[in-house]
Amino acid sequence: MKYILMMNANKASWDAYANWSKEDLERNVDFMRAFGKELREAGVFVSTEGLAWPDQAKIVRAGENGEPITDGVFPESKEFLAGYWVIDVESPEQAYQIAARASAAPGPGGKPGGVPIEVRQLLSGFADLGL
Amino acid sequence: MKYILLMSGTKAGVRNYQAWCQTDIDAHMSVLRNLQKELDESGEFVATQGLAIPDEAKIVRGEKDGLPVTDGIFPEAKEFLLGYWIVDVRSPERAHAIAGRISTAPGPQGVPTNMPIEVRQLVTGAQKTS
Repeated sequence: MKYILMMNANKASWDAYANWSKEDLERNVDFMRAFGKELREAGVFVSTEGLAWPDQAKIVRAGENGEPITDGVFPESKEFLAGYWVIDVESPEQAYQIAARASAAPGPGGKPGGVPIEVRQLLSGFADLGL
Repeated sequence: MKYILLMSGTKAGVRNYQAWCQTDIDAHMSVLRNLQKELDESGEFVATQGLAIPDEAKIVRGEKDGLPVTDGIFPEAKEFLLGYWIVDVRSPERAHAIAGRISTAPGPQGVPTNMPIEVRQLVTGAQKTS
């Protein structure tokens, strides 16, 4: 079963992250590297991506002639995806355990960040939409 | 430049989608399949993935007594990720154009859904903190 583990954050959280000390950032990045290695060694790793700062985020809708209409204004409370892991596991419980590990990634001062991780099952194809 | 195109919706939006008739669903999927074929041929396609409906979504925060702390209650307004495309393109404008194409995919009675598609650049771990 494939699951996606997502880290989302609103603007206030991104701003706070921008003010982390170099030491705190390095500690967090070290954890993320070790975590990725651990997932690979456990044979559950599928992919991971980090997203760029949301300053340049755009919402695109098609115009009347199909041309893209972009909008870059978002509500303050909007949660922006910061990054995700895709894992292939035996059960949802295993996905939750791995998500808990990601949530414990060190934040400022080395304390576990307690970042909320959204866990969702992936579909393997259009047929899985069950429609 | 790699971009991720994110399609999101509320639970109410997902319920509406589940009520589409088969003809409308087939027409919608056919447009998305054709777009994927085009992106494959242009060499811009990297990955795409659909997510299961959000009913079983969980938020996990840390551990208590060695067990993950899970919560499945979300505000009604929460936007859940429904699916994404990763494309490797020459410019942000090209990423926006592809997102516009996804947004034109037909909905009920063939009317374009005009679904908002969020476009974000991807980074490697090293660039992310700079």
